[in-house]
Amino acid sequence: MITAVRKPMEEIIACVSPYDRILLVGCNECVSVCSAGGRKEVALLSSALQMHFLKQGKTIEIREMTLERQCDPEYVEELVNYMDGADAVLSMACGCGVQTIAARFREKPVFPAVNTTFMGASERQGVWSERCQGCGDCVLGITGGICPIARCSKRLLNGPCGGSTKGKCEIDANVDCAWQLIWDRLKALGLEKRIEDVIEAKDWRTSRDGGPRKIVREDLAS
Amino acid sequence: MNTRKAGSQTVLVIGGGVGGIRAALDLAESRHSVVLIDKSYAIGGLMTRLDRTFPTNNCDLCTVSPHLSESGRQLRIDLKPMTVVEQVEGVAGDFNVTVKTMPRYIDLDKCTACGECAEKFPDWVRFTPGLDPRAPTCMRYPQATPHAFSVDANKVTDFDALEGVCKVGAIVPDDREKTETLHVAAIVLATGAELFDPAVLDNFGAGKYPNVVTGLEYERIMSASGPTLGQLVRPSDGKRPARVGWIQCVGSRGINRADVPYCSSVCCMYALKEAVVTKERFAEEIETCIFYMDMRTFGKDYERYLTRAVDEYGVRIVRCRPHSVVEEPETGNLSITFATDDDARHKTEVFDMVVLSTGFRIPESSVALANRLGIDLNEHGFAQTSGFAPVATSRPGIFVCGVSESPKDIPETMIQASAAAAMAGAQIYLDENEIEEEEFFPPEQDVSGMPPRVGVFVCDCGSNIGGVITVSRLVEKVRSFPCVAYTEAVGYGCSKESMNRMEALILEHGLNRVVIGGCSPRTHETKFQDMLRRCGLNKYLVEIVNIRDQDTWVHMDRPEDATHKAMKMLEMGVYGVCRAHPLVEHSLPMNKNVLVVGGGVAGMNAALLLAGQGLRVYLVERESRLGGIARNVRATLEGDDVGRYMSDLTAKVQAHQKIQVLLQSIIVDHKGMPGRFTTGIQTGPRMHYMQIEHGVTILATGALAHRPGQYLLGEDDRVLTQLDMDAKIEDDPESVRGMDQVIMIQCVGSREPRNPNCSRICCQSAIKNALRMKALNPEMQIYILNRDIRTYGFQEDYYREARKQGVQFIRYEPDRRPDVRATENGLVVDAYDDILGCRLEISADAVVLSTGLIADDETTEELSVLFHLPRSDDGYFLEDHVKLRPTDMSVRGFFLAGTAHAPKTIRESITQGQSAAGRALTMLAKQWINLGAAVAKVDGAKCSACLICVRACPYNVPFINAEGYSEIDPAKCHGCGICAADCPARAIQLMQYEDDQILAKLDGLFERMN
Amino acid sequence: MTDIFEPEIVAFCCHYCAYTAADMAGSKRISYPPNVKIIRVPCTGKVDAIHIMKALEKGADGVYVAGCLEGDCHFKTGNLRAAQRVRRVKALLEEIGFDSRRVEMILMSAGMGERFAQTAREFTEKIRELGPNPIRSAIQEQARRAAG
Repeated sequence: MITAVRKPMEEIIACVSPYDRILLVGCNECVSVCSAGGRKEVALLSSALQMHFLKQGKTIEIREMTLERQCDPEYVEELVNYMDGADAVLSMACGCGVQTIAARFREKPVFPAVNTTFMGASERQGVWSERCQGCGDCVLGITGGICPIARCSKRLLNGPCGGSTKGKCEIDANVDCAWQLIWDRLKALGLEKRIEDVIEAKDWRTSRDGGPRKIVREDLAS
Repeated sequence: MNTRKAGSQTVLVIGGGVGGIRAALDLAESRHSVVLIDKSYAIGGLMTRLDRTFPTNNCDLCTVSPHLSESGRQLRIDLKPMTVVEQVEGVAGDFNVTVKTMPRYIDLDKCTACGECAEKFPDWVRFTPGLDPRAPTCMRYPQATPHAFSVDANKVTDFDALEGVCKVGAIVPDDREKTETLHVAAIVLATGAELFDPAVLDNFGAGKYPNVVTGLEYERIMSASGPTLGQLVRPSDGKRPARVGWIQCVGSRGINRADVPYCSSVCCMYALKEAVVTKERFAEEIETCIFYMDMRTFGKDYERYLTRAVDEYGVRIVRCRPHSVVEEPETGNLSITFATDDDARHKTEVFDMVVLSTGFRIPESSVALANRLGIDLNEHGFAQTSGFAPVATSRPGIFVCGVSESPKDIPETMIQASAAAAMAGAQIYLDENEIEEEEFFPPEQDVSGMPPRVGVFVCDCGSNIGGVITVSRLVEKVRSFPCVAYTEAVGYGCSKESMNRMEALILEHGLNRVVIGGCSPRTHETKFQDMLRRCGLNKYLVEIVNIRDQDTWVHMDRPEDATHKAMKMLEMGVYGVCRAHPLVEHSLPMNKNVLVVGGGVAGMNAALLLAGQGLRVYLVERESRLGGIARNVRATLEGDDVGRYMSDLTAKVQAHQKIQVLLQSIIVDHKGMPGRFTTGIQTGPRMHYMQIEHGVTILATGALAHRPGQYLLGEDDRVLTQLDMDAKIEDDPESVRGMDQVIMIQCVGSREPRNPNCSRICCQSAIKNALRMKALNPEMQIYILNRDIRTYGFQEDYYREARKQGVQFIRYEPDRRPDVRATENGLVVDAYDDILGCRLEISADAVVLSTGLIADDETTEELSVLFHLPRSDDGYFLEDHVKLRPTDMSVRGFFLAGTAHAPKTIRESITQGQSAAGRALTMLAKQWINLGAAVAKVDGAKCSACLICVRACPYNVPFINAEGYSEIDPAKCHGCGICAADCPARAIQLMQYEDDQILAKLDGLFERMN
Repeated sequence: MTDIFEPEIVAFCCHYCAYTAADMAGSKRISYPPNVKIIRVPCTGKVDAIHIMKALEKGADGVYVAGCLEGDCHFKTGNLRAAQRVRRVKALLEEIGFDSRRVEMILMSAGMGERFAQTAREFTEKIRELGPNPIRSAIQEQARRAAG
């Protein structure tokens, strides 16, 4: 899923303070699952903003909405009746959602209330870790199901480097060395030999290096 | 055994301690009528005076008080405090019992427990003696049941004055002793015992030195509701002690004047608990030391409690029998003189406080009661029962539980209470067609869509509320609140007259929601909920606003502020109740079949009792024959013939028409909800698959006889286990008779890191076998190498007898274990003797190892996965509440019996088998399963299937269903609301405490203020 | 009217411990300031961060959540969850420059009537020192302007 964390209140407040009527929009997908921008967070942010401005002697009107999925235009369309009553939109969705709203309602300023952080997995209640960088050319099949792009600090395709100590990464002793994990996993699979195979330099054009990406499914696209 | 006469449907329970309460509740829930009598003015017994209970160190009041109020409210229980039995005539199923009720001088129906009388005339009311100077009150603890006062007529000098202060006219000056005759089918004796008064001893200074207290007095000092409000201070000078010492076995396990010979079973644990709680609260500041003879931590997980107490909390324990306690007059400090095994000289240590661990004593009054009941007592004054009928007294139809039967702790009392209730209930024929209570209420009117019409009724509770605030003024203000259709001051709202008036007003004014301004919903909610139901309104449409306990009682000196607060509280209540909506307590028909897993002693006893009540029982056993581990035991410590008992029991089970025995069978799948389970079983040599529909499940899968590969066991056939020796004595007495010297080693494979708990049964097995061997060959030398001898209760008698017959007991410490060698001339055991201070070398014809029991890890693991049940760390099933619900499991409809729960003797397994049957009957007696209403509900449309509720629930109830959203089974939900507060999509609401109700209360509080 | 500030305080109390302790304070007639108004919940684990925020937004001068002692929660761990949420709300309040001392988590057992009263006294005193909730003054100011 896409993970996110709420922006510092100071930044959010700075964005919305010129406005009197805010449409605060959450999303019931990824950001809800990672407790960053679902109905609950929308209500909390709304309350916090309300309190902040009241303290300044200012009343603002905040309308709370949470869409099923903010990155789909059909769901975003549900906002249409509320746009007239809003001076600005504050979105708690990931960057995709913010942009979908911005694209649909061109005349309204749209502000992100969260920082979209990474694509990750939940380790346990309240803990998420980065697992994928969307490089567009998956190598998990040869790295024992552990991604060196997302999980090695240097994105090494042939690791580990000299900074791997007791299974930890030199940049942070709390970070597992991805290549140590890859080695352990290959060993468990009886594929130790594979570590000696050199993975050739990756064509990063499938990733960000090739510019903004797009998927067009001929069989589905209309 | 079952005399189903058409006759009385009632059971008399004598004694209102936790055992009596449990028995009464079980019977009532099984749809029997109960008369619960207690000689005291409030029920609760000893437990309500404890500070915290082991092994969880939880506060007692909050665990026991729901039980107590439960019993105050059960419709089928007729509670008669201050009542004693005079005479019993008749036979089982048809007793006539004459009971005498002492005058209370207070009308229980009228008294509202306001405390006015006690306030004005503290001397005229009783209070708990000893360290409890809590006058003015004669409620023993704040949640006393019945929730009413009593008057000590001997002290009252002016009844008119007393009557004058009581606004409800509850004082009855001419109250007289009443005698009546009860027609009952069975009697449960649960009178408990007293604690020994050590003042009769001249060596420990009890009653002479202020800083020498008993264990119970120490509990009261530590208790938050005690005389010092939980401050640990010593009585002489009110200072916090720096050193506290405990002396064990005071008055117990002795042969001297004023001693009793038996072991009181609970004192080691309570002393440890008191020391640990002292340490928990004051850590390094207080030193604690326990002087003991044998540390008897034989209960479930108790040994670990001991280890923690010593290793983690730093409680010091010293093995010795102190000789005396002497006070230093200037300081009030106390010096304890004692001698230890390894040092011949006397030692003295000084303490600021000394706690005497006194045990149970049967009071004279109980002996007299036994005579009136016509039941036999054993030599120690406890009710006599036979070996395999642990709750049946000598008189048919009279059953016993708790400390009246033998010294025991709370969980064992609870187990026995449910067993006694089950056996007593079996005396009664139940009419299946009897209508359940619910149907006495008129049908509920549909209020959905109706605008709220709130009625607000405010009690004055005499001067409790009315004396502080002007209720009529308050009522005027409330009238202006939104949605309020009617308000009135109702005097004592909980009195019968007021209730009648309110009911009439609700109907007359078409009120559809009610706010009561009065006392605590904790005590009175059910009463007012029933009032609404009588008016055809859903019981969840009432809100109780606690303006007595939480306003007028605490702001007496500020009437203006109290009035304002009451108004605000009522406004919150009105706003909240407007958002209340009718809640349905879901119900489904109950399946009345029973699945018993495990065909040992516990399982068979449970099966027989339930089948005897006409229920269909499926008894599933993994082996090819019934009997379990007890099949290998020949005799008990008391000399009862186990073989004969087992063959009788097995034959009865197999012959019973209502019991289907499934041998060589295993459980393979399971689904459903409490009251309606479906379980798949593979049965017989061909593993034929079948499905069973059942309402409850009893787990009695037993434990395994431990056989660790230690001390040459399995290598040399002269090394046996106690179980082997038990059989050998019976089957091959000649070879045993020929033995000259035998050594037994205790705690083999128990009380060690790999199996840290005590196996409970080994000390008495060793002594049992030693005595039987001595009987075969009185010249035989028997040495029992032990760490502590844990012959709890009356087993102590046999320990004493063994010593008398010359059995030698030699102590060893875990770091100096004995060593067994095989030589050509026989076995040789090396052991270190503390008293002699040297190593001994003893040759032996046989070495008998006390290997005890070990959990059947594989079975319990498999079943715990299948049934979603928790286990303890050492592989036994984990009960729902280690103190109060030892036979219930955390999943409703599952009950636990025998050694699958923890190691226990055959007799104890029988008790828990009967107990499990009794607990199961409380569910099976119902035609419908009530699923309650305060449960979490998911709005599937809002749910984002994030799993947060799944992970947050302490009971693992929510799951993501096939439709892809979270589902919460109302039958399993405990109603805490954690999921609702954690849900990031706000998709979950806890019924009765929904978000909009809580926010509405906040609106009510702040609306006008702003 | 005197100038002593009388704060309005909301206490979310769990049924099993804190609410019972409040009743206990009552039956022992232990007096405490009347500023505290209790909202009963089955478990403090039910107290949502939003409930606390809304209470402050509506004008409460202080809010505390009172649950069972550690290890005593009738629902195993609800009190610990509540404590985590209270910490979170405090952090959020700090971010908007709102004194987070107005919100606390407090633990007590059912038997601790004296502690309940003591808590009410101490908390009221603390809030009194902190002065009125600035939001409430703002709301009242607005109301005055609207009326005038």
